[in-house]
Amino acid sequence: MTDPIVSAMVFYALAAFTLVAAGFVALSGNIVHSAFALFATLFGVAGLYAYLSADLLAVVQMLVYVGGISVLVLFAVMLTSGLDGPLTSNPTFRLGGGIVLMLAVAAAAFVAATAVPSGVESAAVPTTAAIGDALLGAYVLPFEVVSVVLLAALVGAVTLARGYKGGHR
Amino acid sequence: MDLTTNSMLLTWTVFTPAIGLTAILALLALRPLLRLSQQAVDEASRAIGLMASLAAAALGIALWADFDSGTSNLQFIHRFVWMKSWNIEFFIGVDGLSLSMVVLTGVVFLAGAIASLPWWGRLDDHHPHFSKKRVPAYWILFLLLEMGVLGTFASQDFFLFYVFWEVMLLPMYFLIGIWGAPTRKDPDGRTRGGPYAAIKFFLYTLAGSVLMLLALIAVYYASGPATLADGSQAQHTFNLVHLTRQAHDGIFVKAGAILGIPFVHIVFVAMFLGFAIKVPMFPFHTWLPDAHVDAPTPISVILAGILLKTGMYGMFRFNLQIFPTGVVWAAWAIGILGVINIVYGAFVCMAQKDLKKLIAYSSVSHMGFCLLGLAALTPQALTGSVYQMISHGIVSPMLFLLAGVVYDRAHTRDIEGFGGLAQKMPEYTALTGFAFMASLGLPGLAGFVGEVLVFLGAFAAQDGIFRVLVAISALSVIVTAGYYLWTMQRIFLGPFNHRWEHLHDMNWRERLTLYPLAVLTVIMGVWPLPVFDMIRETLNTLLASMPAGIAG
Amino acid sequence: MLTNLLAIGPELVLTLTVVLVLIADLVIGDRPARRGSLAVLSFAGLAAAAATFFLLPDGGPAAFGGLVSGDGLGVFFRGLFLVAAFFGVAFGALSDEIPVERFGEYAAMLLATTLGMSFLVQSQNLLMILLSLELVSLPSYVLAGFRRGDSRSSEAALKYVLYGAAASGLMLYGFSLLYGMAGTLDLSAIGPALNAKAAGGSVGIRAGIALAALLSLAGFGYKVAAVPFHQWCPDVYEGAPTPVTAFLSVGPKAAGVAALIRFVVIGFGASVATPPAGGLPWPVLLGVLAMATMTLGNLAAIPQDNVKRLLAYSSIAHAGYLLMGIAVGTPDAVQAVAVYLPIYLLMNLGAFLAVMAVRAKTGSETIADYRGLVARSPALSIALAIFLFSLTGLPPLAGFIGKFYLFAAVVKAGTPFFYVLAIVGVLNSVVSLFYYARLVKAMFLEASPDGAPAVLVPVPVGLLLAILAIPTLVLGLWWSPLADLAARAAGIVG
Repeated sequence: MTDPIVSAMVFYALAAFTLVAAGFVALSGNIVHSAFALFATLFGVAGLYAYLSADLLAVVQMLVYVGGISVLVLFAVMLTSGLDGPLTSNPTFRLGGGIVLMLAVAAAAFVAATAVPSGVESAAVPTTAAIGDALLGAYVLPFEVVSVVLLAALVGAVTLARGYKGGHR
Repeated sequence: MDLTTNSMLLTWTVFTPAIGLTAILALLALRPLLRLSQQAVDEASRAIGLMASLAAAALGIALWADFDSGTSNLQFIHRFVWMKSWNIEFFIGVDGLSLSMVVLTGVVFLAGAIASLPWWGRLDDHHPHFSKKRVPAYWILFLLLEMGVLGTFASQDFFLFYVFWEVMLLPMYFLIGIWGAPTRKDPDGRTRGGPYAAIKFFLYTLAGSVLMLLALIAVYYASGPATLADGSQAQHTFNLVHLTRQAHDGIFVKAGAILGIPFVHIVFVAMFLGFAIKVPMFPFHTWLPDAHVDAPTPISVILAGILLKTGMYGMFRFNLQIFPTGVVWAAWAIGILGVINIVYGAFVCMAQKDLKKLIAYSSVSHMGFCLLGLAALTPQALTGSVYQMISHGIVSPMLFLLAGVVYDRAHTRDIEGFGGLAQKMPEYTALTGFAFMASLGLPGLAGFVGEVLVFLGAFAAQDGIFRVLVAISALSVIVTAGYYLWTMQRIFLGPFNHRWEHLHDMNWRERLTLYPLAVLTVIMGVWPLPVFDMIRETLNTLLASMPAGIAG
Repeated sequence: MLTNLLAIGPELVLTLTVVLVLIADLVIGDRPARRGSLAVLSFAGLAAAAATFFLLPDGGPAAFGGLVSGDGLGVFFRGLFLVAAFFGVAFGALSDEIPVERFGEYAAMLLATTLGMSFLVQSQNLLMILLSLELVSLPSYVLAGFRRGDSRSSEAALKYVLYGAAASGLMLYGFSLLYGMAGTLDLSAIGPALNAKAAGGSVGIRAGIALAALLSLAGFGYKVAAVPFHQWCPDVYEGAPTPVTAFLSVGPKAAGVAALIRFVVIGFGASVATPPAGGLPWPVLLGVLAMATMTLGNLAAIPQDNVKRLLAYSSIAHAGYLLMGIAVGTPDAVQAVAVYLPIYLLMNLGAFLAVMAVRAKTGSETIADYRGLVARSPALSIALAIFLFSLTGLPPLAGFIGKFYLFAAVVKAGTPFFYVLAIVGVLNSVVSLFYYARLVKAMFLEASPDGAPAVLVPVPVGLLLAILAIPTLVLGLWWSPLADLAARAAGIVG
């Protein structure tokens, strides 16, 4: 990141890629297309993470969201909605409301990002080791709480999805 | 003033109903064990209830016998710290004003208790009488109500007063709702009946008392340091004696304004509204006719005889005692509203077809005299106001008992539907005539003394407007005489309506309630001195604390 | 390290209990005493968790580098949650709405929720708040959808999930903005940092802080069911099994209130007695929310015919009363909230238990089926009447004391806005009487419909009713111990 112009170009390219893909997710009439576009969106976000030198986060984004969740979404779409009718989404797309909402969020984000000087120091160094230390050091409690949350989610999912004994519905 | 505990007699008086209530509860709990029949439990509950009301009335008289009327200091004090964290004390005691109300409570509840016994004499089984419905529950609530009323009059701690004040609500709700008239559709399509009247009563009074709650909290935080019963120092206090003393030192006048309105004025109004709804003062009176029409007879007796007085008592005890400047500030408004009560109530009576509704509106009219007397702030007017409270507490129960007599027999109270009853029920006619005369203020009977004193006192008030008010309200006396005499004529005179061939005259239960009250009415009409003695010092002290130039 | 572990002793025990209950459920299988033994195991876990309170380090230092706080507020509420969990498990064990073969999962989910609540109230760190809130939410969703055959229950769960996901998304966004602006996740450092920024700040800075704070409020508002995040509440309360509704109406709500106190009052240091924290007029903001919440809750409750739905709106109204206390934010007000919540727990759980008992016999939750209940089940009717009048706030019942503390704190605040708030609050109490009394009227003042079944209360249910009703009566006349505990929670006394 030595040259600010190159750096900026990389950023805008990544951002544009992400936004275009995200727009496709929202606007596409075909849900399978949307799912694939989501794949690209998440990939673009991973690129942004890498650009910001959050190397671990970028890898996690690739593994979990791009590799795992997108595939899961695709499976879900393929398995459930192919049963009847065309694979459509967004039957009613309201442009006006969407634009207003988007502008509001953009304005809010702009205000939040520019008006208040950031309190976070950033340095372009690899973060993986530091995050590992934090997870097992200062943040061991949240780390463990996450595991309990996952356990609860797992048991909950089984509870809801398990077969019925009586079989009545 | 010495505020240490010096007697348990008042405590016993207040909690005697609670003892009876506990006894009935114990009876219910033991019922499966003792294999008592429903009838046995009913009879025992009645006996316990009657005994407890009798004991409370007797203890009230005993208090009077022991009372030193030469001082305005509190007597029969029982005081200890109840809740340290809020400096709340259990503090009861009576001065002349409280005592007069405590004695009246005993008498009225005793009359109510007797009237709650089932019919005896000739039995009419075709119409289920309220006195045979869920008897133990009735007596539990009846006694709870009596405890609430006695506690309200005896409390000398604002918080304790509030708790007792609210304790009165629940039993009354159920007593009107369960044992009152069943739900019915009026000809105009509105749903009326006990449940409707009960919730209306409940909502109105609660709306008033929550404002009082805010006033109570505001007064607490504005109050200064005081010594508690255990000798410890408190930053703020609910103790009425301390609050009164601090009020005279000007602590509330100096307190910061609320919402831009001076502290004394806004707190005065909040408390006054709470009490005014109970009195009930125009325009908050609309719950009263509904409640009276659909309540069973003894509950009407209690409602008119004593519950309305809790509102007037509250005005004397709080508005007048703690915020005398507030009364001066609001005297005009109170006086005018009082006169509206008097005149409006009287005119509405003219239009009534339901005997109970007529008596209810006459209560509105008569309570107006109490308000006028309070507003005038002269010794005679205040005395008249309190005297009117007591005499109305004796006469209006008589009226409701009499309405109950005819309703129990005829199952209607439609004034137009009777006629010539004097031929069939001479004793009843005589007593009703007597009660009507007492209520319209015939000289020699109780109602006269209070009204005349209020008129005289208000006429002598410094502010000229009260002369106008007296002139207007004096006119109402004519209207009152008019509606009573017209009602007499429609029910008892004229050709006999043969529908009422089966009616029979008074029975002994009814005589037992009516004659003693009638005797009291006569005594209070010709010999008011004992009551004057009881309340004189208290009222003098209240007036002495008035801002200079107002009293007299 | 040991101090750190001891500081979260109750939570460790709870985690262990969740796992043990799940394993025991598998081991016991279809043996007859399944429900009872699992309930006993849960109770034992709760008791053990309660016992570890005595092992908590003295003086309540912050543990895990300040991630969790050991202060009185946390200890008070963690204790309260154990009580709530006890009743939650007991209700589930006694209800036929929780089938026996699924009781193990019910207990595990409920205890996991409790675990989340327990972490939530002591979280001193945005990350911990977020995670524990998720730990409260996830099992709650499962509990809400527990009646699987029932479409209303499924709908309730779905609504709960969707609203919950949206609310925690908003909150996460708000937290990330807060982190970005303050440069720390530590709650106790965020307030000062933002105050410093807002002090010399432009309108933009204030707007940024306000945006972040408002977004963060969404998550808490959702948990306490405050307007405008309340829409899920009536549907979920109506659709979920009654024991779950009872638990959700007291547990997560109380946890949300406590977390909100920590976020606003302790984190931002906001109260009427202090200058606007982070440039935001918190007291007025929360006060307006309180007014809207209680007014909407009470007015919407009036026309309800389903008792659970009625109680749902009533619980929204009570969230409004509690928000009043948080708006004031003084130690007195925090104490008032801490007095109010245990009382609210007693009376609300009691009301739901009575509803459960009636439902078990009549299969109905509509007010019309409560007509004449006093003739069919006097004790149950009287108990329910006590709970309802206590919810109204009538002396000498406990609910009055709770309201008295709250209104006293509001009046003491002494600004015109809070006087108006107090008046709105008391008038709301009067409105609430109207719908509580509707139920009482049906039970006491109306006659039973022909052929209405008698409602015999099983002994354990009767016992639980008594356990809930007796304190509701006694605390109205003698509440010193509760007030002292609450004072400790509010940090008024050591």
